[in-house]
Amino acid sequence: MAGTLRSRRYEKVKPYLYLLPAFFFLFVFTYYPIFRAVYISFFNWSTDYPVKVFNGIKNYLDVLENKVFWQVIRNTIVYSFSTIFLSMFLGLFLAVQVNKNVRGGGVFKVALFYPMMIPGAAAALIWLWMYVPTYGVLDHLLAGIGLRGLPWLNSTKTALWCIVAVGVWKHVGYYMILFLAGLNNIPGELDDAARVEGAGSWTRFWRVTFPLLSSYTFFIFIINIVDSLQSIDLVYIMTRGKPDNSTNLIVYYIYQQAFRYWNMGVGSTLTSMLTVFLLICVVVIFSTIGRRVYYEA
Amino acid sequence: MGSGTRHNILAYVVLAPVSILMVVPLLLLISTAFKTLPEVMSIEFHWLPETFRLDNFRKAMAVAPFGRYYINTIIVVVMILSVQIITISLAAYAFARLKFRGRDIIFIFFLVQLLIPPQSIVVPNYHTISSLRLLNTKLAIGLVYFASAYGVFLMRQAFKAIPKEMEDSVRIDGGGGFTTIIHVFLPLAKPSLIAFAMVSISYHWNEFFWPLIVTDTKRARLLTVGLALLTQATESSPEWSLTMAATIIVIAPLLLSFIIFQKKFIQSFMHSGLKG
Repeated sequence: MAGTLRSRRYEKVKPYLYLLPAFFFLFVFTYYPIFRAVYISFFNWSTDYPVKVFNGIKNYLDVLENKVFWQVIRNTIVYSFSTIFLSMFLGLFLAVQVNKNVRGGGVFKVALFYPMMIPGAAAALIWLWMYVPTYGVLDHLLAGIGLRGLPWLNSTKTALWCIVAVGVWKHVGYYMILFLAGLNNIPGELDDAARVEGAGSWTRFWRVTFPLLSSYTFFIFIINIVDSLQSIDLVYIMTRGKPDNSTNLIVYYIYQQAFRYWNMGVGSTLTSMLTVFLLICVVVIFSTIGRRVYYEA
Repeated sequence: MGSGTRHNILAYVVLAPVSILMVVPLLLLISTAFKTLPEVMSIEFHWLPETFRLDNFRKAMAVAPFGRYYINTIIVVVMILSVQIITISLAAYAFARLKFRGRDIIFIFFLVQLLIPPQSIVVPNYHTISSLRLLNTKLAIGLVYFASAYGVFLMRQAFKAIPKEMEDSVRIDGGGGFTTIIHVFLPLAKPSLIAFAMVSISYHWNEFFWPLIVTDTKRARLLTVGLALLTQATESSPEWSLTMAATIIVIAPLLLSFIIFQKKFIQSFMHSGLKG
């Protein structure tokens, strides 16, 4: 009797034991850090104050009053949205073309997807070399159309867009693959039916295919917005936020504050603000489509 | 039929030039790595180097301990994947097969991690690693990735698709949960497991920022960080032929594996939708 009782108790605890290892790491390295960042954000803690001193919301006020912070926010929004929109748009367009079962489709897929397999740090170096003025390759190649001597990474007007270009180059193949997966899930009969009704390929795409992809597209969009907010490799290697902070993105800014100036108070304040924003994204996802993804799965 | 052919022509007209543009940086990388420094700095540009010499590769290997970096990277990637497989299979089994209080809430709790990747919380994680006295260790690089919400999600779906009868046959033979996972679930979920492994390996082979933060000695440094430091060593413009040779040394294994197993890789990433 005692045996069955113990085993019944074990059956109750068992699921939690199975979750424990994953949960442990999740807690220590994802949840605990969020609380710790919020806690430290209320302290003065930097090279000038090696011992933490409580100073309320002063860090937040300092951050919000800093012009560079707002520039960083603007840069990050410009970078994230343009990288994602351009690579999603191009990715969808390319996916539709590859999906026509053209001969040699495998070669195209490899040519479009391979940048995903290159570390951001390495991609940044290759493009840094291409952007070198005068003897760099872009200057040579564009000389043909009279575009020699563009300032590329040296001008506040162009530098961020140069990094956007690398971001698009690196991710477009990934989006293409994701959209291919989406296209494969659309039943062919719908497209055939529309064809029989006499709809042209343009109409069929926008009236049949695209609406069927839309919730899928939204999901990819949110996940990757969150993902691109985190980009730092390109900035770290290519510009270090220069010139004049025109390429400084939020995670690089956090890195600068925390590990260049060793101002952990401000670093934690920025981390808390970013995390709160990401958690809002989480809520948006779960209250819209996350639930469906969960229950349909 | 006629319209179909016209379609395919349009596809080629789009795909061929775009693909060529996409490959330009790769071709340039290779061509520069074999050039001499005067060739690189020259005002005249040629796609092909005058002679294909390996000097730059030899020099790169001499300037930085890439052998050591290779070993470190392989250890970290294998360590992360091995621990991940254990943690995600156990959790995925619980979510897919066991009934317990709070299951849905806990699952959502897991999914949140998808959106809070380690880059955004490096500052507090750095403090944790530092107070555990683990700075400059390979374990520090791996620790933060040991639980993968993406992996749990993927494996849970795979486990759910496995018919109950398969599991029951093992249970009748007296096997418990662990036996069932090892002998029934993992073998049957192999495609998902391979997909997860490929995404995990690619992601961690290419990782840069977190390893940069927690390591500053050769002992634990990874390939990507070593590569970045190589160019940052000189304040003036880097020696491009050398840098490109080093870049090839770093990216070659993963890129070649991708080209050889392209179908598998692309399928794996198709599954992913979410990274990690």
